[in-house]
Amino acid sequence: MLVQRRTEGRRLGVFATAAVAATALIASALPAHAETGVTSSTIKLGITVPMTGAAAPGYNKIPAAMTAYFNYVNANGGVNGRKVQLIVKDDAYSPAQTLSVTNDLILKDKVFAVVGTLGTANNEATTRLINSHGVPRLFVNTGYSGFADMKKYPTTFPLFPSYATEAKVMGKYIADNYAGHKVALIYQDDDFGADALKGFATAGTTFAAKIPYSALSQADPSVVGKWITSIVGAGADTVVMFGVTSATGALAGGLYKAGLIGKVQMILGSVGSDGTTLKGLLGPLAPALAGSVAASFLPSPSDATDEYVNLFKEVNTKYNAGAAFDNNVLVGMNTAMLTVEALRAAGQSPTRASLIKAISAKGSTWASAAFSPILYSAKSHVGYTGYWFGKLGLDGNAVSVDGPGKYTLYTTDSGSAPVVKTAAVRPAMPAKGLPNN
Amino acid sequence: MKLKQILAPLRSASPRMRILLSVAIGALLLFASGHVDELRSYQGAQVAIYAIAISSIVLLTGFSGQISLGHGALMAIGGYAAVLAQIHWHLPYPLTFLVGGAAGAGAGYLLGIAAARLRGPYLAGTTLALAVGLPSLANQFHILGGEQGLSFDIGTAPTWIGNDFSQYRWFFWVAVVLALAVYWLLRNLLSTRYGRRWRALRSNPTAAALAGINVARAKVLAFTLSSCVAGLAGSLFAMLLGLVAPLAFTLTLSFTLVTGAVLAGVSNLGGSIVGAVVLVSIPELSNAISSHFGGSEKVTSNLPGVITSVLLIATVLLAPNGPKFPTRRHQ
Repeated sequence: MLVQRRTEGRRLGVFATAAVAATALIASALPAHAETGVTSSTIKLGITVPMTGAAAPGYNKIPAAMTAYFNYVNANGGVNGRKVQLIVKDDAYSPAQTLSVTNDLILKDKVFAVVGTLGTANNEATTRLINSHGVPRLFVNTGYSGFADMKKYPTTFPLFPSYATEAKVMGKYIADNYAGHKVALIYQDDDFGADALKGFATAGTTFAAKIPYSALSQADPSVVGKWITSIVGAGADTVVMFGVTSATGALAGGLYKAGLIGKVQMILGSVGSDGTTLKGLLGPLAPALAGSVAASFLPSPSDATDEYVNLFKEVNTKYNAGAAFDNNVLVGMNTAMLTVEALRAAGQSPTRASLIKAISAKGSTWASAAFSPILYSAKSHVGYTGYWFGKLGLDGNAVSVDGPGKYTLYTTDSGSAPVVKTAAVRPAMPAKGLPNN
Repeated sequence: MKLKQILAPLRSASPRMRILLSVAIGALLLFASGHVDELRSYQGAQVAIYAIAISSIVLLTGFSGQISLGHGALMAIGGYAAVLAQIHWHLPYPLTFLVGGAAGAGAGYLLGIAAARLRGPYLAGTTLALAVGLPSLANQFHILGGEQGLSFDIGTAPTWIGNDFSQYRWFFWVAVVLALAVYWLLRNLLSTRYGRRWRALRSNPTAAALAGINVARAKVLAFTLSSCVAGLAGSLFAMLLGLVAPLAFTLTLSFTLVTGAVLAGVSNLGGSIVGAVVLVSIPELSNAISSHFGGSEKVTSNLPGVITSVLLIATVLLAPNGPKFPTRRHQ
């Protein structure tokens, strides 16, 4: 409005002078950091997550975990003196609703950035809005590799490794440890599974049987029966489950009923291996999972020797009363910690541009709980790239195959780069888990 | 009472009057769009699109007496057709909307043939199955883009309209113009013999058949037309989202449309606008309530559902034919 007034005023010199003077006055009265969503005492962020509906269980714990960590940081001085607020919007996993509530976040609540927004199609639906307003979209919660395309998504930073990466890594693990075994693959018959097939093809993994299932059909006992028949028919002694947690649960139940536990080795992808959820799904059958191999990038939420896990547990007890500490809480707190590091790096007067620049320049050095490097740079928006393998114990939680606390990391990309095995090195946690970057 | 008298001439408005009226309302809305912020433009576009979709239900249920719980799926067909027409045939976007409507009509015709043999709960069940099953087809065929869907871009407003035209304002224009055109067409159609036939068979199919109306044919025609309108709404929905994806056309969408139609008074075409406004303002209302009372996250998340349910129950109990309008014809 001031700009407009000034243009009109140009016709009348007096007004011009007055308007310029007024602008200067207002500008000097305002704090220097007049960026959207940032005041002298607060930084406002937003997140969209399914809080209701079929996709909500588990994921709906993430925002509260993030808020808990932000409150912990706020109680310890905040980010350069500002308190971090998180506005949570429920999108029920519907892209239409994601767009509606993201409109609210950006146009009405005027958030500085969105963080941890969940779902591939959901994030896709808001891309036009995000791009046209230049809103930073940090650490999106999906394994779709496309969001790392900096041309299409200049302000978006995916965090999780892609499904293709995961399949390549699993292929390498199978080649190293299960050579000569007959391996069957069960995968979800959509993009999620298609990415996996691509990754396994790149890794050169051959399967004795490939068993697709359509999303949500895993609840049908006859579908599980078919899996077991196919596994037995192919003579497989190893089965890879590249599906969601409920599919893993169904498979374990099916193998148990067929008396195949101990005869068929399960290898689980990271999406379908959350111990807490599996224990809930399987009830008394949970021990059937013991001995299964699972790929993960975060430490196991039950690892009492992990400094990040222990700190997040403390924060959870103090600031997130009543929430059971599981993988979702861990994901939420880890995302929140990276967010605080990003906000700190954006400077004393953070702007959207300075935030994006800071992540590109320094994101790869920040502390986070995952046993994986972060690849952010001026040329890449790819986040985590690696996995470690663990064996599930009777309690449903994974312990590294190399022994507790020792992690071998497998890293690669979504394309044709080879899989590299290294000892996992991760930045030490900052004192008290409070970023000091 | 006074308003009723003022609006009385509209009740018997001639088709020519209706055209003038539509143009006047359109001009007013488009003018108004220059004076609201982006969020309101978006919500305006949403209202227009919902109004089109709800009017397809009003046409089907209110006038031909058939029930559909699967109009979300027909919107999906329209949306996907429009997007595919843009991707593979490189059609300009106004034509993609036509393709969307045509695809909806085609699917509706096939469904209508089945529908004409089914009644009440059986028809509801069949269409419900469509709403549940159809979106997952997208995962089976590579051309449909799978879970993350296909993107759809109609571009920004042409420069001759104005330079400083936000994306949402442009969507609002497109949606409003099409909504008025649909409304005008349906209004006219319903006052022709087709409209009278549908009303006759809704009230009493046996009597209608005895009066010489081909009940099956009239039903199929109503289903086809309703699906055509739903397909158009679907392609506009895709425009607003910038994509089509199976998750965008959930069962919830189908139910939402039926809810909107009930709130509108199922046999009241004009009410579809009211239904649309209510649907779009429910989240806004629930936000206001929860921020005023500082409710917990659980309350905030579930409040929209509660408000919708209360409104539905209240409508069914207190105003089963929807809100009364002075312009509404007495049947």
